[in-house]
Amino acid sequence: MIELQGLTKTYAGKNVVEDVSMTLETGEFGVLIGPSGCGKSTTLKMINRLVPLSGGRIILNGDDVTELPAEQLRRRIGYAIQSTGLFPHWSVARNIATVPQLLKWPKSRIDDRVDELMAMFHLDPAEFRHKYPHQLSGGQAQRVGVARALAADPEVLLMDEPFGAVDPITREALQAEMRRVHRQTGKTIVFVTHDMDEALQLATRIALLNGGRLVQYDRPIEMMVKPADDFVREFFGQADLGLKLLSRRWVHQYQRPPSLAHHATLPGLDHCWRLDDAGRPIVLEGARLDDQHRHTDVRAEWIATPEMSMKEALSRMVWYRVMVLPVVDGTGKLIGEVGMQGIMGIESDGGLHAGEPAS
Amino acid sequence: MSGAARSARPLRAASAGNGVLLILIALLIALTLGMAQLEPLFRALFPDLGNPLYARDSFLNLMLAHIGLVLVSSLISVTIGIAAGLFVTRPVGREFEPMVSSLAAIGQTFPPAAVLAIAVPLAGFGFTPTIIALSLYGLLPVIQNTIAGLGTVPQTTLEAARGNGMSRWQILRRVELPLAMRVIIAGIRVSVIINIGTATIGSTVGAKSLGTPLIAGLVGNNLAYVIQGALLVGLLAIVTDLLFERLERRYAFGV
Amino acid sequence: MTPPEGRRLVGNRVLTTLLVAAVASVALLPFASLSPNRLVSGQPVMLWQALAGWQFATLALIGILLLVAALAGPLPRRIALWLSLGATLPLLALDLQALGAYAHRALAEASPAARVSQGATFWILLFVSALIAIDALQRLRLGPSGRALYGVAALAVIGVCFSGELLSPLSIMREFANQRDNFIDQLVRHLLLVAGALLPALLIGLPLGLLANRRARLRNGLFSVLNVFQTLPSIAVFGLLIAPLSALGRAVPWLGELGVSGIGVAPAIIALVLYSLLPIVRNTYSGLAGVSTGALEAARGMGMTPRQILWRVEIPLALPVILSGLRIVTVQAIGLVVVAALIGAGGFGAFIFQGLGQYAIDLVLLGAIPTIVLAVIADFALQILVSLSRPSGTR
Repeated sequence: MIELQGLTKTYAGKNVVEDVSMTLETGEFGVLIGPSGCGKSTTLKMINRLVPLSGGRIILNGDDVTELPAEQLRRRIGYAIQSTGLFPHWSVARNIATVPQLLKWPKSRIDDRVDELMAMFHLDPAEFRHKYPHQLSGGQAQRVGVARALAADPEVLLMDEPFGAVDPITREALQAEMRRVHRQTGKTIVFVTHDMDEALQLATRIALLNGGRLVQYDRPIEMMVKPADDFVREFFGQADLGLKLLSRRWVHQYQRPPSLAHHATLPGLDHCWRLDDAGRPIVLEGARLDDQHRHTDVRAEWIATPEMSMKEALSRMVWYRVMVLPVVDGTGKLIGEVGMQGIMGIESDGGLHAGEPAS
Repeated sequence: MSGAARSARPLRAASAGNGVLLILIALLIALTLGMAQLEPLFRALFPDLGNPLYARDSFLNLMLAHIGLVLVSSLISVTIGIAAGLFVTRPVGREFEPMVSSLAAIGQTFPPAAVLAIAVPLAGFGFTPTIIALSLYGLLPVIQNTIAGLGTVPQTTLEAARGNGMSRWQILRRVELPLAMRVIIAGIRVSVIINIGTATIGSTVGAKSLGTPLIAGLVGNNLAYVIQGALLVGLLAIVTDLLFERLERRYAFGV
Repeated sequence: MTPPEGRRLVGNRVLTTLLVAAVASVALLPFASLSPNRLVSGQPVMLWQALAGWQFATLALIGILLLVAALAGPLPRRIALWLSLGATLPLLALDLQALGAYAHRALAEASPAARVSQGATFWILLFVSALIAIDALQRLRLGPSGRALYGVAALAVIGVCFSGELLSPLSIMREFANQRDNFIDQLVRHLLLVAGALLPALLIGLPLGLLANRRARLRNGLFSVLNVFQTLPSIAVFGLLIAPLSALGRAVPWLGELGVSGIGVAPAIIALVLYSLLPIVRNTYSGLAGVSTGALEAARGMGMTPRQILWRVEIPLALPVILSGLRIVTVQAIGLVVVAALIGAGGFGAFIFQGLGQYAIDLVLLGAIPTIVLAVIADFALQILVSLSRPSGTR
């Protein structure tokens, strides 16, 4: 648990962070967000005292951070940054082992831990252990950076815009990986970003800062449906709030059993799936907006998976002009379907809490 | 000194203000013309010396001879050096670039004094071997920095110039040379400063320069001569360096 | 840009140019000179006059091989390059051997005072073989170990030629024989002066570089002061140190007893240290400044102490740049010690200036050539050290 109490930072007589108070429970994924210069990075860096506090207190699991020796404190806290900060003269394995070595773990324990972390981030130890940072792609380097931050099993993980410098596709993959790692490890994470979509993808709590002050601190959905003021409303972007809500919801919450016989999609339209011997969908009959396509071959581009966000599912429906998407499992077997109608009909399903980490 | 550190020169010493430069120039001129007026001072400082003022030649003559040596040799180095640098960076001469670069780098490890000494068996004593040694030695930093300077011109800029329909000659004259000029001038600066120093030792092979009173003082154990020569040649070097620094800054396009 | 391989006659224009230069020099410039005594300038001897038949045939064979290597047609590119690299060693050996053999023959029938000296063509052939080797090494993209191996082979060839009596009748070698003990003394003295200057320069320069990195405000002033020393001609600095040091030596007797006086070792070392400071401080500073802020922030964020950051992250990453600074000052100091001979510090410069004073060219060369060789060897050795210090991750 991290408690910030009246946190203040003054540079040259100006408060860049002013009286910020918030509490992040153990296991939460807290995201600090706001326009540039709002003090989100400074706030983060005060937690591991890379930036000294001007006022207020930070309590980490009951300890006042200013009362601990800075180096000792930092070894209890993982830290990952945008430029990765990997040491170019050390191999991937040695980079990951940085903090365990500082803590003088025995060698065999370090080796085991490095292998474990590399497996967690899908980096094949045989291939990557002895590589150097300059031999990695941006996404791989960032994975190593996060693995290094987690190496000594820290109480808290701080991440300062870690995915800000990678391309959009890699960023999405890293975000998905981060959600999984958070689920697997149950770590308390404080994450700084300026990208609202990223915040909505990851956060269980969002803190919106502006001009050094904390404007609102809440669950993501509540920030959207109950903004504290116009700034929050504007920052979250009124225009596609509906889509943003869908980006916090997952296909598995909306899917229903597949119709293997003709079933009414909309009044006047009906559809059914044809499967191959392995149970994989191959043809969709009906459910198209135009009557010319009675039979549509199922294509990989418009298949949904249970973990996909509803925003993505909706996008596929619109782009490929189909009213329903097949939901398949890892082997490609049809396990359900999700349709236009379903998107409208979920309100009663406790949607406000959708997107909390599945326990 | 070897090439890498020179061509990069990322650290500019803080520049002295205009005032400092003007004072130093005034001091240089005043000392060159009026060293004789300081005779009482030198007599007071070195009472043991019978002859505390170098009088075999006027300091003005020595200064002009020194500047002449440096000027002639630097003109030769700069002309040949820039031409060679241009040749090896054009398509015709590109094949020679690695060879010329490493030659320039290796050549600069040769001590200037040793190069000067080796010129003697080839060209005898006097003005000529000094000019040969100074020109040859001064050539190397100029070539090196010309190649480095032209190499810093971004590929995208060159593409844009070609895309705008400039001819090769226009690209060279209007884009490449102006952008490379700061680094080229830095090379000339190094070359000239080294030559001012080496020309001082030139007096040991019989070329008249500000080194003449200095060496005469060292040989004849006359400290006053040594100080008179050292003071003037030191001032000359500092003033020249500051002038070059100013010139270099003129070509710093936001770099 | 370049026309396709098959249609070109010349495959390697650099090698071709070097061959043309060598042939022109053989045709126009003397290979050696023969003079009746030490102080008179000699009669030029052309290469074809100096060489025996088999030597000339061997030289022609080497020339033809190199020509074949330079042409585009006959050989595959890499084989041609290996051939030209290999041909430089016999060329080097033949150049030295021919000069020595000629000296033996010419002096057998001349007066004992007669002297044989090397001429321009001798030097040019030496130079051309070095350039051919450099070109081939670059085009073959051999790593440091390959280059070092070739260097050792060339040194072995030179060593064999110098080991016996082959070159001893040469004028410069007779001078060497006369000066042998003195030569070793001056070599040792030269090296001691260089080491004596570099050690304090490192002890002062490294902390100053660290300081410049840590305190931005000190940096500019520090670099301007150090830059002034680099700008001043060395002989002027030596000269200007004489008066204050002799005064100091007289005023503080125990310093005087230690050898602090106007001329000799003390001003030489002080001036060399002042000269060496700028490159050391500058490279230490730039090396440290080149460490990425990300790595530093991560190091701090992960709980390294300032000392751990310095030793584990900053110094290993800055080391190649710091060692390049050491390379610069070592080569520079070897050259400056020559000038220090003018204030009585000794070293190879003593031969040079003594020789210039007596118009004894061989004595001048006896000082100048070893100095150059020393500088080139130091440069090469430190270059290899720099590339070894580069952590494998940052190559």
